[in-house]
Parts: sequence; C-alpha cells; structure tokens
Amino acid sequence: MINIQLVNRLKLLAITVLMALTPLSFAAEFWDLPPQVPPEQYGNILINRLSEKNSVKPAMFSHWLHRRKYTCRVCHFELEFNMKANTTEITEAANRKGQFCGTSGCHDGVKTFGHTDVADCKKCHNGDTNYSKARFAALAKLPKADHGNKIDWGMALNRGLMVPKKYLTLKPDTQVTFKETLLLESEWMGIPPAIFSHTPHVWQLDCSNCHPDLFNVKKKTTQHFTMVANLQGEFCGVCHMNVAFPMADCKRCHPAMQ
Amino acid sequence: MKRWFGAFCVLLFLSSLTFAQGGVKKTRPPPRYYGKVVIHNYSVQSRLAPVGFDHWLHRAKFTCRLCHVDLGFAMSANATDIKAADNMNGDYCGACHNGKSNHDGKKIFPACAQQPVAAEQQKTCERCHSEGKGITPSEDFSAFVATFPKKRFGNGIDWIEGESMGLLKLVDSLDGVNSKNKLFKNPGDSIITPQVKGMPDIIFSHDKHGVWNGCELCHPEVFPSVEKGKAAVYSMNEIFEGKYCGACHGKVAFPMVECQRCHAKPVASN
Repeated sequence: MINIQLVNRLKLLAITVLMALTPLSFAAEFWDLPPQVPPEQYGNILINRLSEKNSVKPAMFSHWLHRRKYTCRVCHFELEFNMKANTTEITEAANRKGQFCGTSGCHDGVKTFGHTDVADCKKCHNGDTNYSKARFAALAKLPKADHGNKIDWGMALNRGLMVPKKYLTLKPDTQVTFKETLLLESEWMGIPPAIFSHTPHVWQLDCSNCHPDLFNVKKKTTQHFTMVANLQGEFCGVCHMNVAFPMADCKRCHPAMQ
Repeated sequence: MKRWFGAFCVLLFLSSLTFAQGGVKKTRPPPRYYGKVVIHNYSVQSRLAPVGFDHWLHRAKFTCRLCHVDLGFAMSANATDIKAADNMNGDYCGACHNGKSNHDGKKIFPACAQQPVAAEQQKTCERCHSEGKGITPSEDFSAFVATFPKKRFGNGIDWIEGESMGLLKLVDSLDGVNSKNKLFKNPGDSIITPQVKGMPDIIFSHDKHGVWNGCELCHPEVFPSVEKGKAAVYSMNEIFEGKYCGACHGKVAFPMVECQRCHAKPVASN
C-alpha cells in the first residue's frame, strides 16, 4: 500500500520536473516554423498603430524595398524604429516634422515622396502586403536563396550588386574591429553547432541593435538561448523570422547539418 | 501533502521561466519621457496618483549634485522613501518646493500639505502626483529643446554642449543645505582600455562630469577606486545592469546605445 503511494508520488514528481523543464529544453511546437509567404511579401509588414483608428488604411512597409538602399542600422538605430511593428510612436505629425519616415533624406518630399501630396498617401497607406509586388522584378538579378525573399542578400552585398547607405548623419564607428566568430553548441544530440560570425552583422547593424537587449555580452550564457525561443521571435528570431533569411534555412546557421 | 506538491510544481515551473534570459528588444522611451521616474512609495496609500518626476525639467535648472548629494536623493527610483512629512519639513522636494523659494524670479510651488487638502490646493498636488492623469505640464518639452544642439538619443539634445554654450544656468547650491565647499578641480581625462580586443578605448572626461556632479556624487560610492595606480575593472555587464556608469547612463544621462560616445579613442593595434 505504502509502496503504491510512493510510486505514485515518484511518478508525479517525474511529471512535475518534466513540466518544469519544458520551457528550457523542448516544447510541443518545436518545429512549428512560421508559415511561408511568397518571396515578394516576405518582410512586408503592416503598421496599424493609429491608421485604422483614424480611418486610413494601415501603412505597408516593405523591408526588401528599403534594404537595397539602406542598411538595417539606418532605420533601426539612427531613426529609432523599434524591432517590433506598431511599437514605435510614428505619427503623421512626427513624419512631417522630419522624424521617422519623414527624416530629411528619406520621405521628405525632396529625396522621395513626402507627406504633403494627397496622391502619395496610398503609396504607404494601402493596407496591402502585396502592394510592392510589381517592383520585385527589379531584384531578379540578385543571387538566389531558397527561403525568405529567395534572394541571398549577403552574397549580393559581397559581390557589390547593391551598395546600401550605412548612415544618414550618424557615422558608424569605423574603429570597432570586432570580428569574432562564435561557435554555438547545440543542446540536441546530432544537431551540429551554429556558427555565428559578427562580420556580416556588423556590416548591417550597430552594436547596440543587438547588445545587450537581445544578446547580453556575458560569456557562456547561451544555454537559455534555445531554438524554441528563437522561433518565438526572441534572440536571432527578432530578425531571422520576418526580414533576414528565415529559420527554415537551417544550414545557413548550422552549416554541417545534413 | 498534495498541496505542497502543487506548490512545488508551480514553483519549479516558474523558476525555469525566470532563469531564462529574454531575448527581446526593449522599447526606448520617446525623448520627452527619457529620464522620467515614477515615484510611488506612499502615493497609492494616500489615494494620490504616483509622482511623475521629469529629470529634464530639473536638470535644466539644477546640477545633479544638488539633489543627489546635498538633498540626499538616492540614485534609483523609490529608494529614497520620501514621505509628505519630509517635504513639509523642508527635506527632499520640500527643500525647493516650499512655497517660499524662488527660481529665475518665479516662486516655486509648495510640495505636500497637511491633510485634508483644500479643494483649491488639489491642483498643486497634481503638478507632481500626475502619473496617469493626463495633466499638461507647466513647461513644454519641445519648446525647451528647440534651442538646444541636437543629439539622436536620450532626450534628443546634447546637454553637455548646451551647458557649455551657456544655454543653462545651473544652480549648484541652496542656502542652508550646501555641502560643497571646495571648487571642483579637474583631475584630467582618464583613458580606459577595454578587456575585449577590437573595442576602442574609452575616454572619460572628468571635466564634463564635474560640472554636473562635483566629486562626491561618484566617489567613493559609485566608483570606489580613487587610489592612484590601482586598476579597477568595470565590466560592461555590470554597467548594463546599472552599476558604475550605468547608475546614470541609460537612465538619465545619454543612453548606452551610442557606443562611440565613450569608446572614442582609436584602437592602437589590432
């Protein structure tokens, strides 16, 4: 009788411990990759913080249209666009004042269409993630990849097929020569390590885009930084879900994967 | 026994969640809210809205030293444990907000009054106990920053440059509470070499800091090592967690997103 009770308790304990460890090690939705979108819609986001409340259609922002001309750093560091849609306080008034989209040298009415001509409104406020489709053909000459925009953006940069501007007014620090390549051991048996190289990231981003919010700078603290968390849009998943090549492209980070 | 088991189960589950470091981006406050501190030690018990303290409004008029050394305000929100009685006694906020002191020819409104507060005084309470009440501040941020040299982050202005241009006239002493008796003597710039290879050296200017802080805001509490030749290690992780430089930078002084404002010296060798 006692033994049965003890066995039951042990069973319960085992289940408890397993449940408790779930968020760290594995989860049911482990390979639940986000649905694939057509390449011309990958990275196209709808911004609708205030639009529909003010009876206009949400603004459609196409990352691939912009990343040909500017590095990520320009908007996400210099212009202070957050990394999550609808969390930046973009307003028409701020844009007209020369902030965010309306920054001088961007949608200021001089460099390109601005915020004064009513005919231009629908160029952004169209609520349609497919709006920029016709212009996707212009990217046909760029090297191919299997996922995301089906374009190997890194290769395109290396070959000089596109030369995005690295800054508007705040010059990147040319003195930072940090080039370390990190080897991230996998938690799973049989999964080869991920190789992280700073170089292509530094080309696009400022140090503070990633550090310390996304990745702290402590050594040997990557044990919590699991694939599950990445797939939930944390860590690498902040970019490598919606804009940079998606995680369906396993081999680009885990190069030894079969 | 079963209940304990349940509690144990919940605890284990929660602990495994909290140990996980979040890999999400923090949202930066807009320039007008950078440096804003919400103080709510006793506000809610007193059926008042928490105090929304704007650093920009005060640092435009006073040095950091005046409040954080002479008046004894702690360096993190709600650590000072300010009570209404303290303010009425002329401590903390009440050192200036006493209804008698002047600034720039204008009388400074009084902080806190004996309960019950008369209806006409209610408006004065709300000037500080404003959090979540949608109160229009008496001084407009955008009008204030309009004349300042611009900087991208934090409050969007260059405080240091503005001060040296003479746009600010900082009050550094109050009658009766002043602890500053010696003039600040600049011990010179310090050049700090990072431990990580490939990062530019840090140029620390005592001069720029001294104007606002004197000596005693930082030494010996924030930076204990003042001994010559004794190398101290300030790790970036600790700074990000709010120690050392992080006591101000990232909260009130310019944030740590612009690496090269501190890591300013060219790397000597690769």
